[in-house]
Amino acid sequence: MGYLEGISISICINIVCVCGIAILTGYMGLFSMGHACFLCLGAYTSACLTKYLGVNYFLSLLAGGAVAAAGSVVIGIPTLRGKISGDCFTIATLGFGEAVRILMANIGTNLFGGATGLSGLEHFTNLKSSVVIAVIAIILTRNYARSQHGKIALAIRDYADASELLGVNIFHEKLKALMISAFFCGVGGGMMAHYYVYIVPNIFGNTMSNNLLTSVVLGGVASITGPATATGMLTAMPEAFRFLDNWRLSIYGLTLLIIMRVRPEGLFAYKEITAPFTALYRWIKAKALKPAAKA
Amino acid sequence: MAILEIKNLSVTFGGIKAVQNVTLSVDNGEFVGLIGPNGAGKTTVFNAVTGVIKPSGGEVVFDGQVLNGMRPDKIAHLGIARTFQNIRIYPKLTARENVEIGVASIPKYDTISAMLRLPHVRRWDKEVKEISEKYLGQIGLMEYKDVKAGSLPYGIQRKLEIARALATQPKLLFLDEPAAGMNTAEGLELVDFLKQVHEMTGITIILIEHHLEVVMNVCSRINVLNLGQLLFTGSPEEVQKNPEVIKAYLGERRK
Repeated sequence: MGYLEGISISICINIVCVCGIAILTGYMGLFSMGHACFLCLGAYTSACLTKYLGVNYFLSLLAGGAVAAAGSVVIGIPTLRGKISGDCFTIATLGFGEAVRILMANIGTNLFGGATGLSGLEHFTNLKSSVVIAVIAIILTRNYARSQHGKIALAIRDYADASELLGVNIFHEKLKALMISAFFCGVGGGMMAHYYVYIVPNIFGNTMSNNLLTSVVLGGVASITGPATATGMLTAMPEAFRFLDNWRLSIYGLTLLIIMRVRPEGLFAYKEITAPFTALYRWIKAKALKPAAKA
Repeated sequence: MAILEIKNLSVTFGGIKAVQNVTLSVDNGEFVGLIGPNGAGKTTVFNAVTGVIKPSGGEVVFDGQVLNGMRPDKIAHLGIARTFQNIRIYPKLTARENVEIGVASIPKYDTISAMLRLPHVRRWDKEVKEISEKYLGQIGLMEYKDVKAGSLPYGIQRKLEIARALATQPKLLFLDEPAAGMNTAEGLELVDFLKQVHEMTGITIILIEHHLEVVMNVCSRINVLNLGQLLFTGSPEEVQKNPEVIKAYLGERRK
C-alpha cells in the first residue's frame, strides 16, 4: 500500500467522523471534547464482529456506528436535559471519553485484549470503499442539515429559550444531533480498526478528540463540506511539511491561529463548497424554464 | 368565555417578590393591555404563564388546562405564543426559515429519512415552505423572504417575530413591548399593524407596552401592575382617569 494511499484513507476516515461532529458542533453549537470514545466503541464493536463472528465488513461498520450511537445516549440523557448549559456537556464528554477509553483497557481482557489491544484484524479498509463511505457520509449529513432538523438545530444554537417557546423539543433535537455524530464516529472507528489492523485503547485519547473538534471549528460553523475539507488539510499538512522536521508542528499551530484570527467562524462558515455549482445549476434551470413559462 | 385565567399568581426570586397574588382573566378574542412602571412584574407574568419560570404560588389555567409545571414547548403546543422584549429572531436564518421554525417546530419525519431525503421529506419540506410564505404574505414581508433575518431593519425584525409567533397557530399571543425603540410615528404604524393582525386572525392578544399611545389605541381593556400587584383593570378611559394609576406612574404631589 502506497504512502499517498495511506494518507488518503486517513483523510476519508476523518471526513466520516467530522461530518457527524459538524452536525453536533457546527449546527447545534455543542462542543464535545471526548468524541474519540465513540470511535473507540465503533472500532472495538466492528473489530470483534469481523474477527470473532466473521461478519461482513460493511455490516460491522454499521453495527459499530449503532453501538456508538447507543453509547452516546448514556452521556446525552443526563447532560442535555433541561437547562444544563453547553459547557457542562463539554466537560462531561471530556470525562466520558476518558472513562470509556480506560474501561476498554480493563474490561473483557480476553475478548478486547486489555491495554495491549486487539490485533490480527483483517485489512478490509481500502481506498475505494473509504472514498465511497466518505462521500455517503457527506451526502447524508448534508441532507440532515438541509432538512427541518438542521434549521431547528441552528435555531436552538442561537436562541434556545425562544425556540422552546415556539414548541421545539430541545432535548430531543440535541440528543438526535449527538447520536448522529456518535454514529458517524463509530463508523469511522470501524474503518480505522480495519485499516490499522490493530487497535489499542490509548489511540482513542484526547488528542484524537481535539483534532476532530479542531477540524470542525476550523472548517466553519453550519457547513458540512467546510469541516470535511479542513480535516483533509489538517491530515495532509503535517505529512506535506515533513521535510521541515519539527518545524512542521509549529507551522501547523501557526496556520490554525492565523485562520481563526482572520475567519473566527471558520473557513466555510454558512457555506458549502458546492455552493457555486448549485448556484450555476439553479441559474441554468431558471434559464431553461423561463421561455417555457412565457409560452 | 375566559381563555386564560391567572389565579393568585406569585413569583419570588430569592427574597424578592416579583409578582404577588395577581389574579386576572382574559376573554377569548380580547385585545388586552398589561402596563405598569419598570419592574412592576409584567414580563415575569408572561414568563410564568409560558413556563419559562416556575411560579411560587397560584395557578394558571389556559383553555381549561392547568399550566403549572408544564414544559415551555408543551405550553407552546397548547396554543400560547410570544415575542420578546429584546428581539430573538434567528439572525443567520432567512426570514422564511425563521417562520418555518414556527410552522414546524417538530419535524414530521424521523432522522433517518431526513438523512436519506426520502420523497415524503421533500414533500413535507415543500409544504412547510408554502405555509411559511403564506404567513409572510399575510404580514406583508414577502419581499424579505430570502434575506438573512439578522440584516433586516429593526421594524421588519419586530414584524417577523410576530409572524413567527403567529405561524405556531396560537390561540393566545403575548407581545412583550413590540414598540420598544420606536418613535411615536413608528409606534402608531405598529398600532395599525396590530389592529390588522387582531382582526385578521381573531386570536386573543395580550400586550405589554410602555408607549401609552399604542396601548390606549389598540386595547379594549387594560390591566395595570405596580410593584408586583394588580392595581387596576378597566377600559383605556378609566385607566387614564384612575388616580391610583396616575400615582403609580407619575408619583404623588408632596402635601
